[in-house]
Amino acid sequence: MALPVPSRKMTTIESAYLLEVVKGLVLTISHVIKNIFDPDHFRTIEYPDMKKPMAVRYRGAHRLLTRPDGKVKCVACMCCPTVCPAKCITIIAGEDPDDPAEKFPVEFDIDMLRCIYCGFCVEACPKDAIRMDTRIYEINAYTRQDMVHNKSYMVNLMEGKKPEAEDVYRANPSTAPAGYTFDEKPIP
Amino acid sequence: MPKVKINDTEIEVPNGTNMIEAARLAGIEIPHYCYHPHLSVAGNCRMCLVDIVGGRGPDIACNMQARDGLAIRTDTPAVKKMRASVQEFLLVNHPLDCPICDQSGECRLQDYYMEHGQYESRLNDAKVSKEKRQDIGELIVLDAERCVQCSRCVRFSDEVTGTGELRLMNRGNHTEIGLFPGERLGHHYQGNLADICPVGALTNKEFRFRRRVWYLRETASVCDGCATGCNIDVCHQEGEVFRYNPRRNDAVNKSWMCDPGRLSYQSVMSLKRLLRAHVDKKEVGVDAAVAEVVRRIRNASSVGVVLGTRATNEANWALLTLVRANLPGARIFWVEGNDSTGLPADKILIDGDKNPNSAGVRLLAAHDGKVGDKTALKDAIPELKLLLVLQDDVVHRLGGMSLPPVIYFGTYLNDTSERAAVTLPVAHTVEQDGSYTNRQGRVQRIRRAVNPAGDALPAYQVLEKVGAALGRAPGTAMPAAAFNTMARAVARLKGMDFKSLGEGGLPLAALPPESSNVQAAV
Repeated sequence: MALPVPSRKMTTIESAYLLEVVKGLVLTISHVIKNIFDPDHFRTIEYPDMKKPMAVRYRGAHRLLTRPDGKVKCVACMCCPTVCPAKCITIIAGEDPDDPAEKFPVEFDIDMLRCIYCGFCVEACPKDAIRMDTRIYEINAYTRQDMVHNKSYMVNLMEGKKPEAEDVYRANPSTAPAGYTFDEKPIP
Repeated sequence: MPKVKINDTEIEVPNGTNMIEAARLAGIEIPHYCYHPHLSVAGNCRMCLVDIVGGRGPDIACNMQARDGLAIRTDTPAVKKMRASVQEFLLVNHPLDCPICDQSGECRLQDYYMEHGQYESRLNDAKVSKEKRQDIGELIVLDAERCVQCSRCVRFSDEVTGTGELRLMNRGNHTEIGLFPGERLGHHYQGNLADICPVGALTNKEFRFRRRVWYLRETASVCDGCATGCNIDVCHQEGEVFRYNPRRNDAVNKSWMCDPGRLSYQSVMSLKRLLRAHVDKKEVGVDAAVAEVVRRIRNASSVGVVLGTRATNEANWALLTLVRANLPGARIFWVEGNDSTGLPADKILIDGDKNPNSAGVRLLAAHDGKVGDKTALKDAIPELKLLLVLQDDVVHRLGGMSLPPVIYFGTYLNDTSERAAVTLPVAHTVEQDGSYTNRQGRVQRIRRAVNPAGDALPAYQVLEKVGAALGRAPGTAMPAAAFNTMARAVARLKGMDFKSLGEGGLPLAALPPESSNVQAAV
């Protein structure tokens, strides 16, 4: 049901609009002058040359973490697809006869078109195998199929890049969320 | 009939009932690991400790026989503390590898921890590690670390199969279950070990890592692997069947089922399924095939019909009424035998007859009175111009005799579908509603768990289409209607109703004294 919005009657000066137009111009011109003499006031970020620094806890594209021996940490326990409200995670489990962890994901796909970036998968993971700390927000592709991130894509997502959040946490560990553990393998 | 009191509920229970079962009857759950209704009482897990009102101290409910005036309490602070302590002890050496354990989701340790545990870990010492991932049998993987030494599996192999391979070995912290060196599980009931294991120590190799159990939906049905008719739960997700689990029915299979039956879920997705209708090996739609069947029936001077021991009661009833209503000259037969070789009969569950509904066919044959058997069919073959076959692999059962053109309503590709002029796909047991009559003469419901594959339809619906095209439909479009009409007509099904069959099925009515010898054979 729509609610009536109380409205105020305009005064005679206001309804002439002349003074109001001048007020607006004064505000604009004052900003122009401020920006000329104090360039730090520029709020425009020249994307894509510049990027906005995302908040430390910003949930970006998912990455899969690996153990020191290079295998994915994930053991295909199916906690993340179970908890996922968008049902965007598909895992096919397999058995690794040489690995004491026994179980591993043969396929691990996340449909980024379906994902709602809630971060429940990260919360649910008992092995700290999936994180959304990449701060990558440019998730795009030419086809729907390419919007499905697979295992190798998510493992190599941070290749040559550092997760910025990790840097912040290392510099000042008190900012890290409770229970946060650093990668065993330092990313180059 | 002793009268006992559990908490505040008074209940009268049969003689010899133990208090876990008595509490179950009263709707109160007493947690337990080692107790199993179909195994002897071991009393070693101590989870079912309860307080006896006016007694000296707590005692285990599984080993406590109901007697008049016995009163127990399961909700006192002492009982709650005992449960939490027992739970803590059992978890001392448990590896807590739930993420890779197939039991999680149906694990007693998980369930009871949430219900009765919920303590902070006080463990400082390292856990005792034991051998994981031991291959001990065709169907079973043993993880000694996860075991809580309830000894259910030991008792199962001693008491049910009588093979006694499993033993508890070593002492104290180092107790583990295992087999003698070089031995492997040798019986055909291995899957039950994984079922009765309350934790993840024994898991099913075949189901290993295939699906998390909390995704699976269960549909109560009956195994179609042999004439025993073990009650099962069909576990499926999104139209795919992942496993059969035995469902408790004390009158038929207790809590058990055999391994071939357990693995027979694979037949649902088998490549040998008949998925499309064929006329002279050419794929056609079901309606076109039905029209062709009707044309051939009208043109044939003498028609033979074979009832199906692999088909439901409803389908056989549909075929019987269809023939009697539309084809007065046709002759009806049924053929004993197996479509493929299976395990020989044993004294536990496996039956030599690999058809789920032989007894149902025998019952309908006796009801009709003019149904010939295998020898009658062999004698009649030269005179027949067309043979309608319902689901059974009759060509195989007759040993490859030359037959007239065959119309085959079947589920699988086999010798008969190979020879048939017209084939129509019929739904698998888990794809349809209906009923089977097992070797004891117990009529049991099957229920649709997944949708039929390909163009398949339940046989009674295919026959309804054929009947409608011939002039008089048998009225079997819906299985409940088919069964209820049949129950009204057949003396030994008197008083039965599709709904009243319920989860456990109903036994056939006793034979009236003046019944014929044919009926006595059922």
